[in-house]
Amino acid sequence: MEIQTPPPLGEHLRSPQLRSAMLVQQEALYAAREFLRGEGFVELLPPLVGPVTDPGGRGAKALDVDYYGEPYKLMTSAILYKQASLRGFPRLFYIAPNVRVEPPETASTGRHLVEFHQIDVEVAGATRHQVQEIAARLLTRVVDHVWTAVPDVLRGLGRDELDFAELRQGKFDSCTHEEAVARLLGRGHPQNPDAEIDWAGEKVLSLEADRPFFIDDYPKGSRGFYDREDPERPGVLRNFDLIAHGGYGELVSGSERESDYAAIVTRMRESGENPAKYAWYLELAREGIEASAGFGMGLQRLVRFLTGLDALWQVSAYPKLPGVIAP
Amino acid sequence: MSGALGATGFPEQAVRARARAGTAEVFPPADSYGSRLYGATAREPEDALDELRLVPPVFMPRRLEKLIELGREPSYEDVDLHTTVGGFAAELPLYLSAFGSTRAGSGDLGVAAGRQAARLGIPMVIGENMVPVHGYSRGGDGMRSALLERIAAYTESVADGVGGVVVQQSTEDADSEVWNLLYSDPGTRALRDSGRLGFELKVGQGAKPGLGGMTVVGADEGERLAGQFTVRDLLGERGRLLRCATPGTFTEEIVRQQLRFMRNNFPLARTWVKFHPGRDIARAAATAWAAGADAVTVDGAEGGTGWAPRVFLDQVGLPLGECLRRIGPPAGDLLATGRIWEGGRAVRALALGATAVGLGRAALLAVDEDPREGLVRLARALALETRLLVSAVGKYRVADLDPEDLWSPNAPAPAPPPLEAPAPATPPAGSRTAGTPAAGTTPLRPPPVRPAAAGATSVRGRA
Repeated sequence: MEIQTPPPLGEHLRSPQLRSAMLVQQEALYAAREFLRGEGFVELLPPLVGPVTDPGGRGAKALDVDYYGEPYKLMTSAILYKQASLRGFPRLFYIAPNVRVEPPETASTGRHLVEFHQIDVEVAGATRHQVQEIAARLLTRVVDHVWTAVPDVLRGLGRDELDFAELRQGKFDSCTHEEAVARLLGRGHPQNPDAEIDWAGEKVLSLEADRPFFIDDYPKGSRGFYDREDPERPGVLRNFDLIAHGGYGELVSGSERESDYAAIVTRMRESGENPAKYAWYLELAREGIEASAGFGMGLQRLVRFLTGLDALWQVSAYPKLPGVIAP
Repeated sequence: MSGALGATGFPEQAVRARARAGTAEVFPPADSYGSRLYGATAREPEDALDELRLVPPVFMPRRLEKLIELGREPSYEDVDLHTTVGGFAAELPLYLSAFGSTRAGSGDLGVAAGRQAARLGIPMVIGENMVPVHGYSRGGDGMRSALLERIAAYTESVADGVGGVVVQQSTEDADSEVWNLLYSDPGTRALRDSGRLGFELKVGQGAKPGLGGMTVVGADEGERLAGQFTVRDLLGERGRLLRCATPGTFTEEIVRQQLRFMRNNFPLARTWVKFHPGRDIARAAATAWAAGADAVTVDGAEGGTGWAPRVFLDQVGLPLGECLRRIGPPAGDLLATGRIWEGGRAVRALALGATAVGLGRAALLAVDEDPREGLVRLARALALETRLLVSAVGKYRVADLDPEDLWSPNAPAPAPPPLEAPAPATPPAGSRTAGTPAAGTTPLRPPPVRPAAAGATSVRGRA
């Protein structure tokens, strides 16, 4: 696929299309905050650097920071801090900035930026089903609000309200990872059954759908150590993705979390991590971390879905495409 | 000869001689021809693998196959040594074993060895702890780290379509995200995109099974590394400290999941795993192959190292031959290392199921002897011996070697088979002679021959 790259920053910032996208983003953030506060959530501001961060997957790397001589990382995700906060804040959310140095080949997916934001939600004591329900209602509320607040902006970008009709009625489908793999293999797409659904496969499934859908039960080894393994079905994780219809792909990743200390350490080893570098988190886990479930909804992906634009860089004021040096 | 390097207990002088003279060292001195007579030298075997003798048969149906294919009598030069080694095309059933952050392996010798491995068209493994110890620099500062230097030297010298570079990552390396850095580094892109980049999960090593990597460091370096490694004053010399890496914790599930994680995160890279000669080596190897490893390396207790406690060098771990016996017919590519330097030991390991053998100490000594040609000459001598031996047992592909090509003095001789009706003039393709039946309790003997002749090569995955 040909990579469409952003124009020079000044030109990009002056473009009417970006202005429209930012108006949509502003309304989406407003609606997300209003919804979550209404559900009893407290907004915290996430940390930006720390001794560890979410380990990279699929070739994504964390950026190193020299922190008074200590090797710190810029947050690729603040998941560990979300878990740590549950005692004081059993229902919490961030609008979290994240930096992931994605491999250059992801520049052409239209769905990757090095700097991006997540609406990051965590709920103490919740099950996967309960946070999926929150994610679905959050998405519904945001879409409803944006279509109410700035319908002309969306229409000006070429969006059709009918494309969101099923979503706005709260209709979401779901399937398991195994079923998604079988569907892809049936269409001749070479999907690895042990891995996340690849970008191309995700797009195939997303284009076929006319409403968003959950994919549940990813196999162990495809996700981070904090996604809880199903005690009844070893090797299967109690996690999910929420995929937008229309080819826009993954909007949300979430799971029930591992909270048992021994399980966390073992899962770290299974993903090749050195537990020693997670010392602060493991100390907390020894004392006891609340069982929880949560998710992260990609803000730029959400805005791209709403605006119908081709690539994430078009909905970021200061876009950094993987592998492209930009101010 | 630089002669800076020594290797206690290793046939160092013989290796150095091959690094100087190459194939000439395969034979007695040519100028002694006519004035000296030769016979067996009452050579003392170094270990149980060396104790096995290669035993050519009299009747050679495979040679007849080759004769028919060629339309002339085959010679040793008709032995095809091309091998797929852990997913890479290799000109020889050989690869350069890992040497990592130790002083002997990470300097100019490592670069020279890599360059010559590339010229030979064989894969190269780069050892663990290079990045935590030596750093990983990128960008425009003009300085390349030891790791990138070795990769660049290899890439510059390798021909298209052969070879490959495999990089280990230890627990400490995981902190530095070595694989992640390499996978998206522009400097490795050509290798990666041509399917010639691999990553090796290092579970252990032969010279010190159950321990992590060890090096000797100076006081300054020790202070710098103390945050990541255990650094202790145990060596009785001022300013010399012992630096220990952790061995890492592995269970069956941890190995399975780590391999799966590697395959998911680095889909364009080959996935290798290296085991120490553990008593459960057969189960470990089977677990790794089942999890999709492209190669399993078993490093026998005879394996070399830059530094280890003496008690481990002589008293810990299974010998390579016993590891191969326990593994039996491999379910994937099996790579064997441990005291390999000449063709006899290499061919014995190959006959016991190895797909290829690794050169470690021998390679370092060879490039120490001659940084430009030493390893190339050593490998050519080994390749010549391999061709001579494989052809002598009446075979012309390395993959056709089989335990039936070996005899152990500890194993009872097989009963002569009953004389059968005259065989057809032309053997059916893929046919082979029956092997030695399994019996006896001697610690090392050729394992039972694979049950079905036709299935044997496909079981080994390199038909």
